[in-house]
Parts: sequence; C-alpha cells; structure tokens
Amino acid sequence: MYSKKIQFALRKAGAKPGFRVRVTESKRVFEGILLPRPEAGDENCVVLKLENGYNVGIGFNAKTRIEALEGGGAELEKFARARNKFDLHLPSVSMIATGGTISNRVDYRTGGVHALMTPEEMLANAPQLADVVNLRSVLSPFRLASEDMCGEEWKKLAVLAAKELNDGSRGVIVTHGTDTLHYTSAALSFMLKHLCKPVAVVGAQRSPDRGSFDGSMNLACAAHYAKGNIAEVAVVMHGSSSDDYCLAIPGTKARKMHSSRRDAFRPINCLPYARIWLDGRTELLRKDFHGRAEQEVVADAVFEPKTALLKVFPGASPELLEYLIDKKYKGVVVEGTGLGHVPTEPADKKASWIPAVKRAVEEDVVVAITSQCLYGRTHAFVYSNLRRLHAAGAVFCGDTLPETAFVKLGFLLGHENLSVEEARKKMQENIAGEISPRLTEQEFLV
Amino acid sequence: MGFDFAGHGFKCGIEVHQRLDSKKLFCECYCDPGKPSPEGRKAVLRRRLRAVAGELGWLDPAAAFEAERGKEFTYYADSNSSCLVEADEEPPHACRSEALETALQAALLLNARPVDEVHFMRKTVVDGSAVSGFQRTALIATDGWIDTSKGRVGIPTVCLEEEAAGIIERKAGTAEYRLDRLGIPLVEIASDSSIKDGEHCREVAEKIGLLLRSTGRVQRGIGTIRQDVNVSIREGGRVEIKGAQELACLPALVENEARRQLAFAELRKELSARARPAQQVHAVDLTHVFAATKCNFVSRALAAGGMVVGVRLQGFAGLLSREVMPGHRFGTELSDYAKAFAGVGGIIHSDESMQKYSFSEAEVAAVRKILDCSESDAFVLCVAQEFDAVRALGAVFERAMQAFEGLPSETRKAEGEKSVFMRPLPGAGRMYPETDVPPIRLTPAFVKSVKLPETFEEKRGKYLEAGLNKELADKVLRESDSAAFEDYCSTGASPTFVATILVETMKSLKRDGVPTEKIEASQLKQFFSAFAEGLFVKAAAPLILAELALKPNASVSSVVEAKGLKKFGAAQLSEVISFLQKQGFYGERLLGEAMRRHRLNIDAAELRRALSRKEDAAQ
Repeated sequence: MYSKKIQFALRKAGAKPGFRVRVTESKRVFEGILLPRPEAGDENCVVLKLENGYNVGIGFNAKTRIEALEGGGAELEKFARARNKFDLHLPSVSMIATGGTISNRVDYRTGGVHALMTPEEMLANAPQLADVVNLRSVLSPFRLASEDMCGEEWKKLAVLAAKELNDGSRGVIVTHGTDTLHYTSAALSFMLKHLCKPVAVVGAQRSPDRGSFDGSMNLACAAHYAKGNIAEVAVVMHGSSSDDYCLAIPGTKARKMHSSRRDAFRPINCLPYARIWLDGRTELLRKDFHGRAEQEVVADAVFEPKTALLKVFPGASPELLEYLIDKKYKGVVVEGTGLGHVPTEPADKKASWIPAVKRAVEEDVVVAITSQCLYGRTHAFVYSNLRRLHAAGAVFCGDTLPETAFVKLGFLLGHENLSVEEARKKMQENIAGEISPRLTEQEFLV
Repeated sequence: MGFDFAGHGFKCGIEVHQRLDSKKLFCECYCDPGKPSPEGRKAVLRRRLRAVAGELGWLDPAAAFEAERGKEFTYYADSNSSCLVEADEEPPHACRSEALETALQAALLLNARPVDEVHFMRKTVVDGSAVSGFQRTALIATDGWIDTSKGRVGIPTVCLEEEAAGIIERKAGTAEYRLDRLGIPLVEIASDSSIKDGEHCREVAEKIGLLLRSTGRVQRGIGTIRQDVNVSIREGGRVEIKGAQELACLPALVENEARRQLAFAELRKELSARARPAQQVHAVDLTHVFAATKCNFVSRALAAGGMVVGVRLQGFAGLLSREVMPGHRFGTELSDYAKAFAGVGGIIHSDESMQKYSFSEAEVAAVRKILDCSESDAFVLCVAQEFDAVRALGAVFERAMQAFEGLPSETRKAEGEKSVFMRPLPGAGRMYPETDVPPIRLTPAFVKSVKLPETFEEKRGKYLEAGLNKELADKVLRESDSAAFEDYCSTGASPTFVATILVETMKSLKRDGVPTEKIEASQLKQFFSAFAEGLFVKAAAPLILAELALKPNASVSSVVEAKGLKKFGAAQLSEVISFLQKQGFYGERLLGEAMRRHRLNIDAAELRRALSRKEDAAQ
C-alpha cells in the first residue's frame, strides 16, 4: 500500500495502478505505468514501470507532481492461457490443483503472485501435458499454500480423488505446494482404500514465470505416471538437479530434504517405484507395487486434529508432553534421537520423560516413537533407556518417517470405532508402505 | 570516400558493459576469469528452458525464437567459482552493497542522478546464458551526460546487473556453458542515440571506459568490458550489435553496419519495382539428385542420414552475390539466418560457383529443373538432417522475402569489424520484478556518502606534475593500473622510472616471450623499493625483471646478487676509474669506456661525479 500522501495525490490526479502517469520531481520527469506498491520497500516511493521495461521507485515529497496521461495504460493481472485440446487417443486424467509454487503465476508487471486454476492456465504453464494426457477436469477444492494445509484439506482431497477415479479417470494428478507435499502424499496413501489407479502428487521448486520452471517437467512426468501401471500414491518430482528424469517416490516414504533444490524430494528407507524420463520412458526400480485394476476406490477420509508431532532435543522438558496431555491431545508422535530415545535418566531427575509417557498412556493418549535420524529404524530394546520407554507404554514405529507417523496416527485416531489399543498396534504394522520389512544397503541417501 | 553519416540520418547509441571486481552480485562466490584460481569440485547440470509468456500474455519474439529451437543446455559448475545460486537451486542473497556503491560512483561520474528506490528486475533470457532463464538487472540512475569532441552525449540510464554464463560451445539443439562468470556484477551504461559517426562511437566508448576504470573497482583484461552498439540509418532498421570488445574495431564496425543498412535499402528500392512473388516457402527433397555426387561433404552428410533440401527464390538470381558489407554478401546473410534458426552449418546458393562444391552440371541442371527455376530465379540448398534443413530453408526464405520490406530489426553479434545475425530484436516485454530481492531505498544521505574517485583528468594533472611527460601519463592511465602505479611510486622510486617500467619495459619483455604476468605485485613493489635504495641501475632493470618472472619466489636482492647486477659503490667506481686511467683513458673517453664495460652496474651520472671528484683531487 502507498502512503496516505501518495494515495491522496493519486486520487487527486485520477490515477490508479495500470494507468500511464507522469511523475515530475524537481529536475526530472518519469513517465510510465503506475504499479501497485510492492509489500517490501518504502511506501513513500511511487513505483512506475518505465517504457524501457525497468521498474523504478520515485521518492514522493511536497514538490512531486503526479499526472494521469491519456491512453497507453495496461491491464494488469492478465495471464496466458492455452487451449485445452481433447485428443481421443490420449488417456484422460484428472487434476486437482491446491495451490503452491506450481500453480502460482507472477504478474509480470506488479510481481504479485496469483494462483492459476483453470486447465487452460495450467496448460500454458506445462504445454507438454497436452501431448501426454487429456485433462478431463481441473478441480480446485481450495487454494492454499502447503504450510496452511491440514487434515481437513487432506480429507477433501481424498474424497475428490476417489470420486474422479471412480468416475473414469485413468489417474489423478494433485498439484501442491512442496513444503508439506509429503504429508499430503502420506495422507492420500492411508485414506485411499482399494486404490487401483495411479495418484501423482506433484509440485515445483521454481516458479512458473521463469524459463527454468521445474514444474513443467514434473507435470509431464506426473502425467506419464498417472496414465501408467503403478496404482499407488507417489510423489513425482525431479530426481536430480538436471532436467532429465523424475522419481516416483512412494507417498509414505517421501521427504523434502532441501529447502530450494529441484531434487529436494528423496525416498527415505526405500527405493523409488520408478525413474520417469521426460519422454515417458519409465524405468522400474522395484516390483512390489499394486498394478492397475478395476475396482471401487473408497475414500476413508478421517483425521483426528488432536494429534501432534513433537521433536526431542537435548534438555527438552517433559512439560511439552504434559502440555499436550492437558490439552486433551489423543496422539503424540515423538521424534526421538537415534533409535528413538527421549530424555530418560538426566542429571535432573525431574527432566525424565518416562513419567509423562506413563501418564499419557494411562490417559489413553497414544505415544508413538520415530527417529529424527530419518534413515533407519527405531528399536525398543537395544539400550536400557529404550526398554524403559517401551515399558512405559510408548509404541515404536519401525522406520516410519516422523511426518508419515503423524499423518498415520491422526488417520487411525480419526476412526471412532478403533480402540486406542488397536491404534497402538496398527502404528507398529505396515498399512500403506510406511514400514519397510527389509532395509538394504542401496536404500541409504538415494 | 568516407560514409556520409549525417546525410543518411545516421543514429547510433552505445551500451558499455563493465564487470566489477567484487564478489558476485547475489551470492558469496568470487570469480575473475582473468586471474587463475584453484579448481574445485566439478558438477555437470543439464537443463531445458521453456519460453515464458511476457507481461501481456504473449511470448517475447526473441525468447520464443530461442525456445523454438528446443535447446537442452549443459552447465559446468566449479565449486570454487559458483554455488547453488548460480545453478538456480537457491534464491538470491541480498544485493552486494559494494557493487551497488561502485555503480553509483560510475553514475555520479557520468553526471547521472540516482533513482530513489532501486527495483531489481528479471530480464528474460532463454539462450541458456542464465540458468534461471532470466538475468537480474536494476536501473540505478538516469539523465547523465558526458562531453565529447563532437558535443554532449546523453547517458539516459546506468544499470547494475548480473554477468551471463560463459559459452563453451553452441551446437544444433544444444549449448554448453560454464557457471564461473555467471552473476559477476556488471555495470551497464547506455548512451542516447546522438553519436555522430564511427570514430565518435569509439571516443564515447573510451571515455565511458576510462571513467569506469577510475573507480578502481573494475575487472581488467579481455572480455571484462564490452560494447553493444545500436545503429540505424533513415531507411534502415533498428539493429543492435552485441559484444564488441576492441575499441579499435568500433569505427569500422559501425560504418559497416550503416553501409549494410544502406545496401538493403537500395535493394528494397530495386525490388519495389517488382511484385513480391506470391510464393509460399516450398522446400523440396533433392537428395536423389546427389546420390552419386563428387562433392565430399554432401556425400558424407548423406551417408550420415542427412538430406539435401532446396528452395527456389523467385527473381533473386544475381542478388545473393551482392555485397552488403565488405566481404559479406546477401547470401552470407541468408546463411547466418539458417545457422541461427536451425543450427545448420550453412547453405549453398546459386550465385556461388558450383565448381567450388564439385557439383556436376547435370546435378545443377536437375536441381533447377525440379525446383522449376527460370534464369531469373535463384535457389538455395541446405544439407542437414531433414528437420533442421527444412527449418533452415524456412528461415532463409522468410529473410529473402523481407528484402521487399527493407531491413528487419535484429540483434547481431560483433565479429571484429563485421557482424553476423544472432536473433530477432527482443521486444519491450522482457522484464518483470525480481520479488526475491526487496527494493533498495537510496536516500539522499546515502547517495551523498558515496565517495567519488579521482577522475582520469584529475589523475593526469597529478602525474604531469610529478614529472611524467604527456605520453607516459596517458599510457599509465590507459594501459596500466593507476592505483598500482601510485603504490609503486610510494617506494620513493621516481614516477618516470616506475611508469617506464610498467608501460614500456614490461611490455617489451612480454613481447620477447618473458612471462611477466608471473611477477607478483609484491615482488614488483620490492623491485621499485630496491631501485629507490640504489641497489641496481636502470639498465639492469629488464634483466632483473626477466629473472623474477622465471623465479616467482625469489627476492629482488638475491636476484641482483646472483646475477652480479649490484650497483657499484664509491670504492668500486674509484677502482674502475684508476684502472682505466692506467690504461690511458681520460675524460669523456674514460666515461665511455667505463659504461661500455660496466653498463649494468654503473650509473652514468654517479660515475661522472666520481671522476670529476678524482680529477679535482689529482689537481
């Protein structure tokens, strides 16, 4: 927003963003298109887009004059669209767009970021999609950045995806912000029962305004995945920093491991299903997945919001867990150290977590243990402190990723007819690929 | 006869790009391609760029042109000179303040007024030279000027931007770049179009270059400064020639472009008498004609699965051999289009000698027949893979037809005094805000705090006062590093001696094959200080420097000692004099003989003084 003084001067001149204006300083004159004030910077500078393409901020003071000029204005916030052609020979898939970088568009004049939601706009971003699949629908149940999403949104997505698949889509592509993309892929993995068609969850680390937009290849590879034969939920994102192939990573085993790289999503404790090249070539890296079949997909869309994920750190007070119990949380996933430790016998005896864990279990709060190492399993017996934690009633989740364990616990606790004891038991069993029966040499740092 | 610039409505503006000597503009990497640096870990990235819609929803013609070529780019990254920011894997860090300050210094020296708030923009670049697909650039100041021998030239804009990645190789469908250069801060200074002629263009470029160097914070050496020139004549088009590096080539480069535009204007006049052929591009497969050709490169290309494709240019017979620039014909121009649009090696056209290609008369006759060429028609052939050949001929045909309209606006690449077609001129919709970098407020107080360096004029006055003659002072300013010069003078060595060593002795040693670049600045300073202290005489200087270049770790005194180049002291001088007197030498003859024998150890003036003292004593 411009300062009050500038707003007043603009009103007086009858000018608003998009108008061509002349700004006269003491000795200098600028002409250009008036832009809205960016969030950052000095609100007392008028921002113009000059004819040479540069934006410039002009300090406003008592001597500055602003005049609106005739004609030459520009319509702001206008985006490219591409025709959604329908090719009978191509398989039809559905797209569910939720927000995030992949479906953002920068307004080239203002720099403002806006969500794109129509198939036409999506296709303008990734025109190769149209050569791979028909987009039978682009659904937009909500527009949220991934950090703003929660269980409610996962439930909506599961219901929509199941409906699309049952209505004849060959597969579903979910576009998503990357920060919590792996939570959503885990949620869909748990919630889509009898899944018999591919569901690709895809995002972008670079925005679509630039030539180097990575989502373009991610979307094309996701389309190849969606029409393929791996009937599982997978995260489909760049496999390397180059634009050569994407990895299809099991939805419960994917994790964002870098804040900005294209190949941020890595499989943890497993191999990807496949390497998918831009031209559609699919290199299978494992065989243990469900193939395409004809059956009704059921959305078991439930989630208990009173579920928490708690990270242990040196000196972490058990008050943290006590607080969650007091606040009536029903399940807490603890990201323990190493094999799943929490402070057990610290010098200050009051800092031990064991009494708090015992209290949680007594009050029917599920305490599930994961490892902040991410790679490798938790273990309940290697050290005496682990044995004490186990004896206190915490359940160990094997090699389930902390985020996946959080989603799984919320999903289990969302089932009202499922007893606490059953939920505890299921946290230790594999439901959707979250616990690997075997870990081998080749699954580390893939 | 000289070109009548004014008579043809000549207009010319120049953009000077100068690399600054600081860490990169948006990360912590440092790279000066002119200085050798240790190698780090290597990485290879392969990326594709897609054309992005511009501000108004349409593709920029230049951007679309590059994207249409469907290129895959390969980037070589070295961990010592680039990081994830250059690889487009990490957002930019804050703008480097010392680079911004240097840009402001340049702006103020050019009498330009800084803007109140700097907004970095993303300028769409899809030739692969920026990994992200855009170059970051910001307008820093406006409304400057410089005075020249032909009047005042306006400097409408001063910008600060990122250097592009260095090209290694450009091939059909791919290009390879190194990331070390990418992101080095670059100041871009643009003049208005009031440059009067080629020589004036050189003067303006040189003046701007000298002003930039006076900041003392610019990179030096080949490629660190380059000029883009915009040239048009009344009947021509707007043409931008990029990447001129040699100031000496500028006058001819500009004049050649003006002449090229004139040649096409004349061609258009001729063509206007004719009707534009109602012909569509129709590329015909002629491969079978050349099945048994004697032309080696054609038979090799066919063996590799290539094709010969041809197109007729109705009414163009004789036009393709017309010279549009010295040594550059219309046919060459068409060939440049084919190369740029389709990445093919070139074309063959009917105004060339067919014997040159070892084509038989029967082959040429068959081509003419199949293409339905009458005597007034020309044909163009392209030998390449089918897709590339057809695309190349499409571009050739379009360009030939444009001759009816006049000169297309285009971006060309400087090659010495000539230029070749690079791509269509980009439109205005190439820039949008870089939202990862917040706007930077330049308050009047901050701008006031920017210290201005001495200009070259001021320095020149100072050097003349210190005893340098005009020629030497200019040479120091133009050819050497004036800050280093002043530093060396602080040792007490005479400025004229320092200047002579820097701009003459070092150069002549280099010409003789001595690797003078290996002499460290610290050694050079030691050298001047040793001279000031009287360790050696002027005549010994080249020998000492040559030895230092070969022994980079040696101290000056050890070299002087080892080579027997120490200056004779009073006792030694006295000995020499006595010795020669015994041999029958006196007065001027003695001086001459002593210098002949001990030129490298004796200072002539000191010898003369010693001799007169001795003779006085004897009387």
